[in-house]
Amino acid sequence: MGMLTFTLVLLYPLSGLLAPVGHWQWNGSIPGSTTSAVRISLVLTGVALMLDVVLGTPVAWYLARHAGRDRIVWEAAVLISVLMPPLALGILLSLAFGPQTLFGAWLLRVGVPTTNSPIAFATTQVYVSVGYYIIAARAALAAVPRDLELIAALLGLKPWDVFRRVTFPLARLGLAAALSIAWVRALGEFGAVIVTAYYPSGMPVQIWVNLQDAGMPAVMPLLVVFLLTALPLPWLIHLLVQRHPADV
Amino acid sequence: MFEAHIVKVRRAFTVDVRLRLRQGERLGIFGASGAGKSTVLSCLAGIETPDAGKIDFGSLRLFPPSLPLYRRPLAYLTQNNSLFPHLSVAENVCFGLENHARDGTKTWVEKLKKRLDLGPVWNESARHISGGQARRVALARMLARQPPLVLLDEPFTSLDRHIMHELIDALLEWHAALGFTLIAVDHRAEVLERLCTRAAVIESGLIVQEGSWSALAAAPATLLLARLLAAR
Repeated sequence: MGMLTFTLVLLYPLSGLLAPVGHWQWNGSIPGSTTSAVRISLVLTGVALMLDVVLGTPVAWYLARHAGRDRIVWEAAVLISVLMPPLALGILLSLAFGPQTLFGAWLLRVGVPTTNSPIAFATTQVYVSVGYYIIAARAALAAVPRDLELIAALLGLKPWDVFRRVTFPLARLGLAAALSIAWVRALGEFGAVIVTAYYPSGMPVQIWVNLQDAGMPAVMPLLVVFLLTALPLPWLIHLLVQRHPADV
Repeated sequence: MFEAHIVKVRRAFTVDVRLRLRQGERLGIFGASGAGKSTVLSCLAGIETPDAGKIDFGSLRLFPPSLPLYRRPLAYLTQNNSLFPHLSVAENVCFGLENHARDGTKTWVEKLKKRLDLGPVWNESARHISGGQARRVALARMLARQPPLVLLDEPFTSLDRHIMHELIDALLEWHAALGFTLIAVDHRAEVLERLCTRAAVIESGLIVQEGSWSALAAAPATLLLARLLAAR
């Protein structure tokens, strides 16, 4: 009974989708802006996730398997990126990469605009999500018994093949969970992105713009799309992980 | 010829052991729990890196520098079966064989399967078989590559006597067929006596006596050894 009450209270905000806010409008003040925001969010979050995996997996693996004292330093650095308030991170990214800095000016000269560009958008998403991915992926990789990797190596497998045939299959659900956390974190990012990449607007920024310009009727359709793109993937992965709690 | 000098600093003592075996010889490293037996084997296998010393197997230098695990021509079996739980029994036994396939590999694996009675569980998931079956699978996997050097770290612990004797007999048959060099460690003399022709006794990281089992029993070098042998 207690759980039921708690669950009802927890999910109660979803009833807001049925609130009488007037006739829903797909677009806000600018025609096509909502469709564009959905496309930008999905494409650039996909790019950010690929970068999370490419950059974060080796780091997570190193943290999971490295026993040296320096590990605590690297873990602390990863944790800083997770603990950073998003708005503060956005401001810091602007100050560090903006065209007023030597580095930002150089990037601009070589054709890499660091503010209000798809690159700025995806980079900001990587900054806000990669720490979450690393922490969750590290836990998944650390759960694979080291013995199995050593035996696989003694059976003649090179390090990459050990990862491909032993480590990855055993950690895959945990890695999928890590990816889903990063997905939600990147897709839903607002505080940092609004500073570094107001344009091109992704869904969170567009929802805010629609709210300012046209009120709740222009927010609701995009809100539904936002929830539908953010929730199902992590939710399904979570259920899958619960169903197969450990391969090992 | 297999020659090793292993120095490994432990918290309580330093393991400092020299071993020399002819091709095909079977040596048992015997000693109480915590004497440094597993450290020696772990260093030989490459799981741990010695602090000093040298390990040569024929013309191949295993240490130093530490040869990567995947290039070591050895098989290593511990008391943990370490089966790959996401694979079937068949996939476990044949794991890595694609890199070492040679004429007759398929026939050899069939022989292992039959001798160890793995047929009934051959296509089962490794996570769904019993402890005794898992040990047979681990043994088959270890021998599938026909390794020239076999290292056994108390592999028969927690098995009942009947299975233990059966597996030791199987190992001896395969030793006769393949002629691998074998080094086994155990704290039970009865296991090593059955498996190995020669023994090296280790206490606090040092070899205190070496020779045939009868020589050890006739004149044990230490009181602890006398007690361990008396416990047979």
